[in-house]
Amino acid sequence: MANILNTCIRSSSGDLKSSIENIKQSTFNISTKTVAAIEGKVEVPYYTFPKNIKDTQDGIYAALKDVVGELLENLSKEDKTQTAIIIGTSIVDWHIINAVETSNYPYKRQPFYSKKRSIDSYAKDLSDAFNLNGFTLTINTACTSSVNAILEASNLIDTGIYKYVVVIGLEIFSDMMSSGFYAMQLLNSDTIKPFDKEREGTILGEAISAILLGDDDKSPWKIKGGHSNCNALSITAASEDGTEFVEMMHKALELSNTSATQITAIKTHATGTYANDISEINAIKKVFDNSITFTALKPYVGHTIGACGALEIALFMACIDDGFLPKTLNHSKAILKDYVPLLEHLNCTSGTFMFNFFGFGGNNTSLILQREDR
Amino acid sequence: MKLYVKATSSYRSDKENIDIKKELKQRYKIDVRRKESFIYAGLLGALRLKEQHSINKDDELYLTSGFGNIDILAKANDYILEKHETIRLFDFINMLGNTTNFYIAKALDIQGKSIFAISDNFTYFHVLTTIYASLLKNKNKVIFGAIDLALGNPEALKRIAGIDEETEVIDSIMYQYLSLDTSDALCELEIDSKFYTQDEIVSIVEKETREIIYSKRCDKSSQDKTPYFETHASFVVNEMIEKSQDCLYIECYKDRYKVLKITTLR
Repeated sequence: MANILNTCIRSSSGDLKSSIENIKQSTFNISTKTVAAIEGKVEVPYYTFPKNIKDTQDGIYAALKDVVGELLENLSKEDKTQTAIIIGTSIVDWHIINAVETSNYPYKRQPFYSKKRSIDSYAKDLSDAFNLNGFTLTINTACTSSVNAILEASNLIDTGIYKYVVVIGLEIFSDMMSSGFYAMQLLNSDTIKPFDKEREGTILGEAISAILLGDDDKSPWKIKGGHSNCNALSITAASEDGTEFVEMMHKALELSNTSATQITAIKTHATGTYANDISEINAIKKVFDNSITFTALKPYVGHTIGACGALEIALFMACIDDGFLPKTLNHSKAILKDYVPLLEHLNCTSGTFMFNFFGFGGNNTSLILQREDR
Repeated sequence: MKLYVKATSSYRSDKENIDIKKELKQRYKIDVRRKESFIYAGLLGALRLKEQHSINKDDELYLTSGFGNIDILAKANDYILEKHETIRLFDFINMLGNTTNFYIAKALDIQGKSIFAISDNFTYFHVLTTIYASLLKNKNKVIFGAIDLALGNPEALKRIAGIDEETEVIDSIMYQYLSLDTSDALCELEIDSKFYTQDEIVSIVEKETREIIYSKRCDKSSQDKTPYFETHASFVVNEMIEKSQDCLYIECYKDRYKVLKITTLR
């Protein structure tokens, strides 16, 4: 069975250690970005990388290389040759944008030059740089990209095809993605208020998060199972009563041989948008009684779209390893009065945890992890 | 790793002259509003596949492509970076990787896992490997679509594909319905997780009795005038099934090679 062996991240709060310190102190680092809107350029809050990560192709690759190097530092040369890489992201590579621009606009024209390059080329370059197996894959299923990458990685390990898989969640500021979220009126807020009656929208963020999965039994973190489906009322939203999310959670529990009462806590998707949070809380009510503990991490690091799966799982695991369940920030008026997210950090060192993620395009994914008692 | 093909559907712009949008509207009664070329392509292949084989609600859907939807990126780029306007709502939605998956899932009435994935040069091979692992673990069936659209932005595609300016590029939509069970199978696909060196490939080729087909990236001969599309392997699978012919398909990336054994069963 696949286990999670190591994690390494870069978020708006920096590395894993500083990100956890920020969560403990209930603080976060937020900046702004300029986004194209109908009314012209607008400034929106944004959880950006610290200044030591440069927003360029080379800068992002350097950060990826640092993260993966740190992640793999204890893996032997032999083990590395049995290690695959899967990236989960919603972004497209600069190279494609450059090719479109030089082809379509005479004033940007460059002599013809062709080089094979896509967003997966990062994975290929990393695989070569660390002498890994050479198997790479890049999954783009919007906000579920990197959690789906984890599920696919665990399949590759459980079936014995690869011994280890590095899953990378990657999301950097994109004019197109931000403009799209703004056009959908999802970026109207200066705080993310999960499951709050007065929630007004989400705030996007940048992240690189790498997770090493393997069949090595030494890790206390086991992947019990999970489920991903494609079912939604529309391309951008599930039913308000959460039917599609209920089905996903039930199936994930079934495939993990876990009952709802065995779940210690849920890491919710909780974007702070009207549609997501009402569907999600209604679904939680249908699967769990009101004693269930649930929390949200996006107020600390933003909604990192394709990276949020790998990032929020890594952060949550680090909090439990540190001995606490992180509280939900910015919550004061519950949508459902009997279902209130965790409002104070809670001592917790082990348990069975459900991680839920939902994306545009009807992608719903639930992953169940177990952290053994120390 | 052995997978079995139960049904296929094929479209190539150089072999078939149809208006895909019109075909979807008239033949399949699909609402074509708010969608665009890549989604139309995905829908055509999937609906043609459904005519060949029954589809189950829990079937999984995997889509792959060389470069995804370049047309919509060009459109979004034009709005934002050139005209300094905001992106149109449905163009934003259509730009997301799994939007095509959603419309296909709705059209086929399936609710299983739905993945859009790519891998440089080995996109067909690596997604097929992932599908094998999923089939083994989840015991479902998989609809596997490979979509390459070149004709909307041929020059941009040529610049990112690592090919010559003179190379002909085409649109291609290839689907297979895959299972691990052999009953009623049209074809067996065999892959392994190993990458071969050039020397190993030479040795394999020398011993092989069936036809050898190389991807355009491996075949650098000047005689090769075949058109380019990244998911060529998917076309070869469908073509071999149609011809009831076996072959060994070889793909490469730098000095690494992969082999796909295609054995027809009827």
